[in-house]
Amino acid sequence: MVAINNTGTKSQKEVSIERQIEKITEEKDEPDWVTDLRYRGLRAFESAPQTDPIISEPLEFLADQEKTPAEGIETLDDLPPETKNLLDELGINEMEQRAIAGLTIQDGTGMIDSSFREKWEKKGVIMAPMNEALKRYPEARERFMKLYDPGASKLAAYHTAVWNGGVFLWVKEGVKEEIPLHLFFLIQQEALAQAPHIVILAEPNSEIKLIEGCTSPILSKHSLHLDMTEAYIEEEAKLDLTVLQNWPEYVHTRPTQRVKVARDAQFSITSVGLGPGKSNITDPHYWVEEGGRVDVDSIILAKEQSHVDLGGVIHLEGENSTGINNSKAVIMDDSEVITRGKINAVASGTKGHISCDGLVMDDGASMETYPGLSSRVEDAELSHEAAIGEIKEEELFYLMSRGLNEEEATKLIVQGFVEPAIEDLPEEYLSEIRKIIDLTVKGEE
Amino acid sequence: MLEVKDLGVKKGGGYILQNLNFSAGKSELHVVMGPNGSGKSTLARTLAGHPEYNDYEGSIKFRDREISDLKADERLREGLMMGFQHPPRINGVNIKRFLTRVLEKLDGVEGTEKIEERIEIVTKELGFSEDLLARNINAGLSGGERKRLELLQARLLEPEILILDEPDSGVDVDSLELISDQINWLHERGTTIVLITHYGSLLEEIDLEDARVHLFRDGKIVTSGEGDLAREVEEKGFNRIYEECGCN
Repeated sequence: MVAINNTGTKSQKEVSIERQIEKITEEKDEPDWVTDLRYRGLRAFESAPQTDPIISEPLEFLADQEKTPAEGIETLDDLPPETKNLLDELGINEMEQRAIAGLTIQDGTGMIDSSFREKWEKKGVIMAPMNEALKRYPEARERFMKLYDPGASKLAAYHTAVWNGGVFLWVKEGVKEEIPLHLFFLIQQEALAQAPHIVILAEPNSEIKLIEGCTSPILSKHSLHLDMTEAYIEEEAKLDLTVLQNWPEYVHTRPTQRVKVARDAQFSITSVGLGPGKSNITDPHYWVEEGGRVDVDSIILAKEQSHVDLGGVIHLEGENSTGINNSKAVIMDDSEVITRGKINAVASGTKGHISCDGLVMDDGASMETYPGLSSRVEDAELSHEAAIGEIKEEELFYLMSRGLNEEEATKLIVQGFVEPAIEDLPEEYLSEIRKIIDLTVKGEE
Repeated sequence: MLEVKDLGVKKGGGYILQNLNFSAGKSELHVVMGPNGSGKSTLARTLAGHPEYNDYEGSIKFRDREISDLKADERLREGLMMGFQHPPRINGVNIKRFLTRVLEKLDGVEGTEKIEERIEIVTKELGFSEDLLARNINAGLSGGERKRLELLQARLLEPEILILDEPDSGVDVDSLELISDQINWLHERGTTIVLITHYGSLLEEIDLEDARVHLFRDGKIVTSGEGDLAREVEEKGFNRIYEECGCN
């Protein structure tokens, strides 16, 4: 069926992508240069390598705009009840009720904007839907789709062609904000590619915390979350990103990050995959300049038949830069977790550490880890450690000998395993994460 | 209260415990002594319900009920508790949260202030500062502190019978005193105590007046006697006593 050709005629797949592009651009009324970029993605698609071990056909997931969400949703009270319940599940409403947090929700492929936007703008924090930002802010245009190559893989090309929604977050110079900003993604349609594109610009000396939550109601059966984040952390700026994912077992997620960390800047990401979906494959890249630092913490609770593959490279390009990559995985049922983070030291005085802990809970569950360290300089300090194991019988016996049954004891050990990696998260999330672990982990029967 | 009859426990083809008979009544104090590897810890772990030793021969009756089908947590709830010789470290599990959870479960109530207060009082009595409660289970604790934490839990859980597996091993002098005080206190309050130890230093601090002392050898009790027997062991060593009683 597929006509691969170099003769100028289009293959069926290209036609299908083009149809999607036409539909998106028609509705979005986007600038020509943005549409041109989409066509670049389309042209790259056929020749781009198929690198994904699970998704052999990205076009199964269409990013059309059939169902844009209802307009006039200003606050959480305006959301459909099932969406609200989902946010409840993630502990969001409590936060919102306390009126402390900024909130933007991407529902399907459209944006629901909260009234918090204006309030944040006064503080020097701009949060705008991506398509709006590309028209309005040169700062967004200059940084949009600059950090990655659409020809790198079929999915990258597909994202470039059909990206939809996403935000531009711009923290102005010197602005420091303690209260975290919230961003939520929900998938509600079947066979949908949700491909938000996020650009973050943290100007020099700014500090901000961003919390992303992702989930999907039970309705959608077969979906792809193909997001792309490009972040620019400028001199001495600091960005803390927390990503909470709670996808149902049939959602494929391919979050991709490209982050540039300037001199003495810091970027930290804690990603908590409470439900990593059917498959979750990541390949983030971080480039760190002199004195900069990147901390990557991943917590994965893999269950059923999830396939989780955490890759990514921290490039230590500036002198005395630091990169840390920690992962903790609880692997249950028949799930599989692979970690293959790399640290690449190119400049002197750099430090890097990879650690990987896996707790294998069931016979069908498996874990593999391939830490990668490479250095082109003499004085880089690079190290890694890995430990994969089961729950120790003695620990279980100890807790049971104090009156906890096997399931309660197992849960406590799993929580204890995860706890050190999440203890810095806000209390609301901690209790939520503990609750989800409680619901997910079963005792050995 | 506890009656062990013809107990046999096998591991790797051989018997670790064989034809072991032992009984302990309410409020009694029993001291179990014997050289390393004679099976004392196996006895304690079998009584407490370690899954590895669940296939035992003979019978273990606690309060007139055979407990072979009870798991460790069920035995605790019935009133049988073991203090570990090597309490394991459990990463990321905060002591206070753990104790609260355990007491809530036992009392069947949630989050009462009383529980918190009780924990704090007993923590002080065991010579700990409140910082202990913020730490993780057995993490970064010295040998003595770990054993004290075991007794702290015994105080909170108030078992009918407390089996202590070498509460004195790896323990400094100050902790030893706190531990023996707690054992005496629990005994005076009516708790049945089975105290496993192989040296006498702890026993000097324990009131042995009505104690029964049992000597272990190769997985069984070879002789029993009054409190004096413990002192004799200290003076003569196990081998001479075995010779004297014809227990070789």
